[in-house]
Amino acid sequence: MARVSWTEGVVRRLIEAPKGVERSLRATVRAAPELASSWRHDLPASVVVFLVALPLCLGIALACGAPLFAGVISGMVGGVVVGALSGSQLMVSGPAAGLTAIVVTALASLGSYEAFLAAVVLGGVVQLALGALRAGGLGAYFPSSVIKGMLAAIGLILILKQIPHALGYDEDFEGDESFLQSNSETTFSSLVAAFEHIEPGAVVVSVLGLALYFAWDASPLKKLRLIPVPLLVVLLGVALNAALRGFAPNWTLGGKHLVELPQLNSWADATAVLVHPDFAALKQFETWRVALTLGVVASLETLLSLEATDRLDPYKRLAPPNRELAAQGVGNIVAGLLGGLPVTGVIVRSAANVDGGARTKLSAILHGVLLALAVVAIPGLLAQIPLASLAAILIYTGFKLAHPRHVLQLGRQGATQLLPFLITIGAILFTDLLVGIAIGLTAGLLFILFEHSRQPCFEVVSPPGAVLCRIRLHEHVSFLAKPTLARFLGTLANGSRLEIDATRAKHVHHDVRELIADFRETALLRKIDLRLVGLDLPPSASAH
Amino acid sequence: MENLKRLFENNRSIVAEVTQADPEYFARRAGKQEPHFLLIGCADSRVPIETLTGVAPGEMFVHRNIANQALSADINVLSVLQYAVEVLDVKHVMVCGHYQCGGVKAAMGDQSYGLVDYWLAGIRDTVRRHDFELQRIASSEERFKRVVELNVLRQVYNLSRTPVVQGAWSRGRRPLLHGLVYDIHDGLLKPLVLQVDGNDKARELLETPRASIGD
Repeated sequence: MARVSWTEGVVRRLIEAPKGVERSLRATVRAAPELASSWRHDLPASVVVFLVALPLCLGIALACGAPLFAGVISGMVGGVVVGALSGSQLMVSGPAAGLTAIVVTALASLGSYEAFLAAVVLGGVVQLALGALRAGGLGAYFPSSVIKGMLAAIGLILILKQIPHALGYDEDFEGDESFLQSNSETTFSSLVAAFEHIEPGAVVVSVLGLALYFAWDASPLKKLRLIPVPLLVVLLGVALNAALRGFAPNWTLGGKHLVELPQLNSWADATAVLVHPDFAALKQFETWRVALTLGVVASLETLLSLEATDRLDPYKRLAPPNRELAAQGVGNIVAGLLGGLPVTGVIVRSAANVDGGARTKLSAILHGVLLALAVVAIPGLLAQIPLASLAAILIYTGFKLAHPRHVLQLGRQGATQLLPFLITIGAILFTDLLVGIAIGLTAGLLFILFEHSRQPCFEVVSPPGAVLCRIRLHEHVSFLAKPTLARFLGTLANGSRLEIDATRAKHVHHDVRELIADFRETALLRKIDLRLVGLDLPPSASAH
Repeated sequence: MENLKRLFENNRSIVAEVTQADPEYFARRAGKQEPHFLLIGCADSRVPIETLTGVAPGEMFVHRNIANQALSADINVLSVLQYAVEVLDVKHVMVCGHYQCGGVKAAMGDQSYGLVDYWLAGIRDTVRRHDFELQRIASSEERFKRVVELNVLRQVYNLSRTPVVQGAWSRGRRPLLHGLVYDIHDGLLKPLVLQVDGNDKARELLETPRASIGD
């Protein structure tokens, strides 16, 4: 015995040594950046995220039927409060398109926005509780192919939804991720309509913006990393629109083609905009139902975003999910108290953050501060930005997320990876983010179950043709092994002999034990000589 | 040639007789064999165990060598044992010795017989090991019988220590090991030790060699 374990030890040491070396190499190559030294990267990134987030905040608030300012408030809270408390360095939180459907129905069922705010606060408490119950670990069960599919789908959605904006057809709100849009059009009908209503000015702005993006990427200037390209694209858009005003007044973009903001002229204006929750609504059962739905769905969306952001992180840092749930909970409590929409982690913003070169959470926090400053200080300036410029930025982000290389990569890993990936993309594109992910997760888990149920749970150790068929159960015999084992037991001839050796099995699922216990009864009837080695069986269901 | 011819003639007449009584007799046995017994016996021509126990073809797996030995370095007997236990799943493994065994006799004397001396070295060892007991048996005939019995017990013990039997015992109480002796004078099989189904019983084989329940 001692000799066996000694050789095992040597073998293990030989096998594991290279892994250890690899690990220490990785640690030295990619040291996590320090907050103090990375502000030079985080500051420009925060400007990018701010520029992406501002129209999204307003658009989602519009789609929810909530005050426009509520979207900006939750953008600020998502940046400053959640950003400060979160353990994630790169995820950016704020109002999410994935929650709009819930918000719209909740507003209708609760009757008032103030009552809804009480549910948002309560939803935050639910998230705090989920964090305390360590529900964040569930995020680790999202299959990788589904998360990659989700990212690619979001990329495609960004492209498809932004093309109308790029062409100057600004009917749907920014940030709508559903196939059936709030303006009773679908993504595709909207695309068709967009091509019928082309604004030449918008095309000039978006095409030149995209050209600048790709040209910058291909040029050596990219390596400078000093100037954020999205900022250049925005400045180019503003400049182009100003130029159009002089040279081709008909093509000038105005009104709904530019970023729209509520004008705040004084502190009194700002406080007048703030709405406070009506806690009398807590007496209604409906408020609790909405709070629970918000808490659970916002947590799911956050965990998915967290998984996705961890994957995009060039430093491969892993954020603690339970701390994230707690941070989101506090964020929603604060958002609800200030009159904001519920917040979640948002992949689009996080992706823009990573793309913008962010290294630490300073970027997320600063974007919240910038949102607050911008709304108060420069609403007039922001209103100069053409939506087509923002469309160019988002199309580029979408292109990077949905790059064909991802499909090829998954294709190489086989159908069990590629199919959940494609199903997730399809489901998200034709429904919305949450329903699509639910379908994708189901498909992904089914593929995993399928893959596992095909793994052998036992091996036949006797030579073929032996009078006694001996099978040895593997170390772990899961529930999934049941059909395979049942099929095998069914193939045994009457009067044959079978030995089931479980001495090496550390865990045999109860249902498998029950199957064997039932088979013991069948074996008696079929005159099968069944011998069990090292297996405790529950009493057979048919035994009386 | 006369004798050899007789074998073929006998064979033909026996087959004819059997198939007349049961036309399917041989066809039925052409399929899978599922014997219950493995017999390790002596090559001696006077010990027709299968005939004397009345087993039909397909019921007993047989290995025979000089002095019915199961040596731990003999790949022949080990292969037979493994096939019988692990593939054919026999329930009983028997070592059957017989009185008047030439091999045992040779191992008890000083005469050299060439190659077979190597094969019989183990029995010479058994004789020396039980020297004290054997010296007290006055009759040389009785002493010869006792060595035959001791050899059977030794071989049953050897079988019990093989990885094949140890492995099988670790999974259950099969196979059962038996030690028998065939009395060449009256044709009767006598049990020496029966139902050895684990290491405790196997150890007793050597600790109490007098446990012989022979005559």
